[in-house]
Amino acid sequence: LDPSSFPRPLDGDVVPKSFSEMYPMNCHSRYLRLTTSAIPSSQSLASRWHLPLGAVVCPLAEAPEGEEVPLVDFGSSGIIRCRRCRTYVNPYVEFTDSGRKWRCNICSLLNDVPGEYFSHLDATGRRMDMDQRPELTKGSVDFIAPTEYMVRPPVPPTYFFLIDVSFSATKSGMLEVAAQTIKSCLDNLPGYPRTQIGFITYDSTLHFYNLKSSLSQPQMMVVSDLDDIFIPLPDDLLVNLSESRSVVEAFLDSLPLMFQDNVNVESAFGPALRAAYMVMNQLGGKLLILQNSLPSLGAGRLKLRGDDPRVYGTDKEYALRVAEDNFYKQMAADCTKFQIGINVYAFSDKYTDIASLGTLAKYTGGQVYYYPGFQSSIHGDKLRHELARDLTRETAWESVMRIRCGKGIRSSSYHGNFMLRSTDLLALPAVDCDKAYAVQLALEETLLSTQTVYFQVALLYTASCGERRIRVHTAIAPVVTDLGEMYRQADTGAIVSVYARLAIEKTLSSKLDDARNVIQQKIVKALREYRNLHSVQHRLGSRLIYPESLKFLPLYGLAICKSTPLHGGPADASLDERCAAGFTMMALPVKKLLKLLYPSLYRVDEWLLKASVDHDDVKDVLRRLPLAAESLDSRGLYIYDDGFRLVLWFGRMLSPDIAKNLLGADFAAELSKVTLEEQENGISKKLMRLIKKVRENDPSYHPMCLLVRQGEQPREGFLLLRN
Amino acid sequence: MAEMANMDPEGMDGVRMTWNVWPRTKVEASKCVVPLAASISPIRRHSDIPSLPYAPLRCRTCVSVLNAFSRVDFAAKIWICPFCFQRNPFPPQYHMISDTNLPGELYPQYTTVEYALPPSTGQFDPRTAAAPPQTPPPVFVFVLDTCMIEEELGFAKSALKQAIGLLPENALVGFVSFGTQAHVHELGFSEMSKVFVFKGNKEVSKDQVLDQLGLSSRRAPTSGFPKGAQNGFQSAAGVNRFLLPASDCEYTLDLLLDELQTDQWPVQPGHRPQRCTGVALSVAAGLLGACLPGTGVRIVALVGGPCTEGPGTIISKDLSDPVRSHKDLDKDAAPYYKKAVKFYDSIAKQLVAQGHVLDLFASALDQVGVAEMKVAVESTGGLVVLSESFGHSVFKDSFKRVFEDGEQSLGLCFNGTLEINCSKDIKIQGVIGPCSSLEKKGASVADTVIGEGNTNAWKLCGLDKSTCLTVFFDLSSTGSNAPGTVNPQFYLQFVTSYQNPEGQTLLRVTTITRQWVDTALSTEELVQGFDQETAAVVMARLASFKMETEEGFDATRWLDRTLIRLCSKFGDYRKDDPTSFTLNPYFSLFPQFMFNLRRSQFVQVFNNSPDETAYFRMLLNRENISNATVMIQPSLTSYTFSSPPQPALLDVASIAADRILLLDAYFSVVVFHGMTIAQWRNMGYHEQPEHEAFAQLLQAPQEDSQMIVRERFPVPRLVVCDQHGSQARFLLAKLNPSATYNSANEMSAGSDVIFTDDVSLQVFFEHLQKLAVQS
Ligand SMILES: [Zn+2]
Ligand SMILES: [Zn+2]
Repeated sequence: LDPSSFPRPLDGDVVPKSFSEMYPMNCHSRYLRLTTSAIPSSQSLASRWHLPLGAVVCPLAEAPEGEEVPLVDFGSSGIIRCRRCRTYVNPYVEFTDSGRKWRCNICSLLNDVPGEYFSHLDATGRRMDMDQRPELTKGSVDFIAPTEYMVRPPVPPTYFFLIDVSFSATKSGMLEVAAQTIKSCLDNLPGYPRTQIGFITYDSTLHFYNLKSSLSQPQMMVVSDLDDIFIPLPDDLLVNLSESRSVVEAFLDSLPLMFQDNVNVESAFGPALRAAYMVMNQLGGKLLILQNSLPSLGAGRLKLRGDDPRVYGTDKEYALRVAEDNFYKQMAADCTKFQIGINVYAFSDKYTDIASLGTLAKYTGGQVYYYPGFQSSIHGDKLRHELARDLTRETAWESVMRIRCGKGIRSSSYHGNFMLRSTDLLALPAVDCDKAYAVQLALEETLLSTQTVYFQVALLYTASCGERRIRVHTAIAPVVTDLGEMYRQADTGAIVSVYARLAIEKTLSSKLDDARNVIQQKIVKALREYRNLHSVQHRLGSRLIYPESLKFLPLYGLAICKSTPLHGGPADASLDERCAAGFTMMALPVKKLLKLLYPSLYRVDEWLLKASVDHDDVKDVLRRLPLAAESLDSRGLYIYDDGFRLVLWFGRMLSPDIAKNLLGADFAAELSKVTLEEQENGISKKLMRLIKKVRENDPSYHPMCLLVRQGEQPREGFLLLRN
Repeated sequence: MAEMANMDPEGMDGVRMTWNVWPRTKVEASKCVVPLAASISPIRRHSDIPSLPYAPLRCRTCVSVLNAFSRVDFAAKIWICPFCFQRNPFPPQYHMISDTNLPGELYPQYTTVEYALPPSTGQFDPRTAAAPPQTPPPVFVFVLDTCMIEEELGFAKSALKQAIGLLPENALVGFVSFGTQAHVHELGFSEMSKVFVFKGNKEVSKDQVLDQLGLSSRRAPTSGFPKGAQNGFQSAAGVNRFLLPASDCEYTLDLLLDELQTDQWPVQPGHRPQRCTGVALSVAAGLLGACLPGTGVRIVALVGGPCTEGPGTIISKDLSDPVRSHKDLDKDAAPYYKKAVKFYDSIAKQLVAQGHVLDLFASALDQVGVAEMKVAVESTGGLVVLSESFGHSVFKDSFKRVFEDGEQSLGLCFNGTLEINCSKDIKIQGVIGPCSSLEKKGASVADTVIGEGNTNAWKLCGLDKSTCLTVFFDLSSTGSNAPGTVNPQFYLQFVTSYQNPEGQTLLRVTTITRQWVDTALSTEELVQGFDQETAAVVMARLASFKMETEEGFDATRWLDRTLIRLCSKFGDYRKDDPTSFTLNPYFSLFPQFMFNLRRSQFVQVFNNSPDETAYFRMLLNRENISNATVMIQPSLTSYTFSSPPQPALLDVASIAADRILLLDAYFSVVVFHGMTIAQWRNMGYHEQPEHEAFAQLLQAPQEDSQMIVRERFPVPRLVVCDQHGSQARFLLAKLNPSATYNSANEMSAGSDVIFTDDVSLQVFFEHLQKLAVQS
């Protein structure tokens, strides 16, 4: 087997075109991707496929300018939905009876067209007003929801912060960076002028803050009775930001100073969380937890389970990766119930049991940000950008999501960060463009008799402006009887996304080994089936064959097994790192996940030396190289980008001029101690511009720059080249 | 009144006794009817008291202090203790002593002396709490209720601000506010206003308070750091976070008070606010537990309503549930009462153990629970002021007085201990007044107890120049003090150590002697030693005490029977002939005192709320005899054109159209204009130059009333009213109903009638004479 002939996804995520070409009215693939656009007509066909039948949904994916999802207001007639199956009107419904009736494309029921929505049909049976009706021409629309879609008036966007102020939180500089960042984002929080904000800080005690607008300065209220948590004010702990702006700013200015000499090392995290819940549960909203140490006091205190290497490989191994105390799952459930979404920011340089803390994010539709051993000088920028992104990105509040499928097919399981409210309703208290969910589909017993099958994703949410809306994505896919067609229409990106999530879930109930094996076996089975399908006609002997659509699948499969949540054993990644990566990957959209699994590698030294004519030349250099040892020339400088980190690889024989120009006086130092900063020279400025560009291309995370010199072991191996 | 004061019946000793000569036996004593008791003002100011800059000498047997009655053998350098007759050698520093070179305490006229030591030389008395090496500053922790309407809270806040401005610069100040929850303000936290919050419905122990405030050593210090110096509180660093010198925190507190809101928790319609007075006091007491015991510490509580939340609750939140009345207490229909009293009693014990004082300023239209909290105020020697509003002068002026310097100053002292030494065969039953028993047993402790007993030493956490205590004595039943024994005199010594407002520790020693008489032979000397005023006040205090402590006690009946017994014993009469009855001048005022006592707020409690009763009784117990006498029997002064101001009979007959009356009922002062006077005034005669005399007549009672108001604490309610006006009831209620509607036909023009069924003084006397002479 020739490694160079091995197919490599150097163009990144390539979305199969057939789907959108065949059905131009389908929603864009950024919102919904099926693992195969050819739906099997029977269970037996589906089972021969071996790959997962499913989809990846990213309901709020960011659209490029000009492609925004149109907003539709039905006004008094209400939203047009099928009387029986509650499908939303979409491009695939059929108008009949001179426009007086419409047929549901999912269940075929004939529905009346309400008077206000009536339109005559033209000779071809199209509604005359088709062009003015985005819901009948576009696969994705936002409907404005009338009051019957509300159990209460839409809530204002609410940001509540639960901030560790213990010794390590202040010492590491986390508190200062966090306070500055929050302050700098105040103008850009969604939902002005309704936005609500509040804070609790904690060490061995809880500190609430009265931010009433009439106060000249905030008032700190300490509650020390950890066994019997109560809130010290009925109002004003969560306040309208625009009204209390000056008090909030005064608070954020004082926050780092107040605790700068704090020597308290305890963490009453559990009681603090409960307190935050008590303050927030009227409104719901987003709870941002900034945690710097292992919860040590009160409910939810955690033990140092640590990385006991002896547990690995035993039946107890998986338990390390799940929440230790039921407190966390219970709190997550309570929060979800009251529309509270939790994002966990963890900063400790010691074990903090991310497995337990992350549970909070997992079941409330949030995410985990992990900055092991946070130091503001090193990680400050990363935290600044990521926290700012978290605070300012468009967010949908108090949402629920449901995926409807045509007759004979149904959603069988969901994978990602959320809580199931009923069998097919995902509760998502706060959801944004960076969150994707995987769903597996199952066929009912009967054969699919239709030519096509429909999917409709509906996200009912409150927009930051206070409008209740329903985002509906509709897609159609053909039903096939030919297994080969299924393979040809497969979408590797979607399959990998489903597999990665399944594999991570598997680590929560099995050994790492077992999880990896399951993925490998599944891929092997699928390829064997495909081979069986073709070997007869092509007489290919023992060569590995795969359809064009799946050519990268084996590589990605391997990458999943080598990803942080799954790879190796106890020595290869700390338990917290594994768990944090797991929580992160569970929520990643397809593109982002694929890049993490197969990072980009660029050579930049020659480009840096070239006289630069215009600032757009960066795209010239962003030519991906295969991730293989042969790609690396020891005279070169390379950037390795997995979306979370940018590793700069300095070849051993790299021109010292370049190194000097980039690193200044530090060029000969051990690179692990060096941070990349802009120097006063063209080369450095050029590189920094490139890095900026790379970061701007994907703002969801802020990749941190790490430097490594060729041959610097074990750091080099740790950072690079797992593939 | 003025004449009384000039007479200075208490003298430099500040001691007044019901009987100034004592019978020799228990049996004879019981025949005296009025108990053997002394009312003492332990630190009353008197210009003649010498201050001695050295430590006192104590008898090596009975530890009583060397005094003017000790016999001295100058040659042998020995003094003989008048209490136990022990011969004590003088220490070397006394060796220059001779009959022409006496130390102050041996001057015969100095029966009261005060020892003052330079602070650096330490303690006076090894048995009392050791004085700290340097004098710690006084500490004030203000506890402010926030369950009030804006306006009331505004009044309270400005009073507080004023008070803080008046404090000595080095005084340490703490602040606790409370409503549904209790907030301890960390004044030393500079970044922003910071409070520690305690749940209002949960009892907290002292340890929990310290723990939660981060003051206990068991837990890591909470965030925030002590600012400033240690101020001498080595026992708990960190307490300085909460207690700051007034000069340092005045600005912070001003700002804090400006922003302090009324309690923010919603109150259900038809309900009382949730007010956790009990927890707030626990927390304040707990916080101060971190201060050294014996430091001069006052908790100054401003309370605007009843406790409805947590420990110390006196009433449910439901407004349809009225606050307990005397009737409810009588019928045992006040479900919260006993539990609340028990709770405040535990606070009292904690404060006494810490040596700290609770002052209660209660201002509300309804009751706030003074009756329940009384125990904590009284046993710590705290001040109490009850008024209708924090905007009322009764509160405002009284509160200001507490913190004022100079002439008006109350002279608040701290950390007092009283010891009583007495001659053999004299037993102490106990003390009624603002103190608590130290449970120190000794030979002079009686078996029977009245008030704070079972001891010969008492703690007075707070005391001031007007603090007064009533000591009840008994005589030994097995006494050898039989007729014919050699000692004609007996001795009592009151030793009070305390810290003055400047923090200096002083020791006041008052030694008095009185005569034993053989009453079996003659009662003449006994009679001449009777102090009617003191006897009346002691009877009032004892009656109040019995009403509070003895179930089903009928005060009126008890007073009547006591008076009848006294009159039978000491009156002159022929048996069964009422007309023959006369009373010796030494007793002549007593029946009228008893008549007014029977009608007073102390006995007729049903006309008042339990809070008011508790308030009146606390003041009755802590004021001197002259003041207490006015509480029982108000004074009435009449102002007319024809004569200078003169005392008038406390009788409805004193009312006349052309008179102005000034009633001093202690808690209220009434200026009452007769009908004609009021008319002239309304017509503005006093503004016309030709009626200068009228203007002066109007002015005189006003000036006199102002003088009373200025000198009194709490400041009395001043009522200015006209005959037949609605406020006139404040006067009429105090007058003898010699003319009631029952006798209206006899009334003269311009006089008044009182609508009452009370018996008049005259009727009362007739009954008394009849009963006293019965065989
Ligand atoms: Zn339908
Ligand atoms: Zn003696």
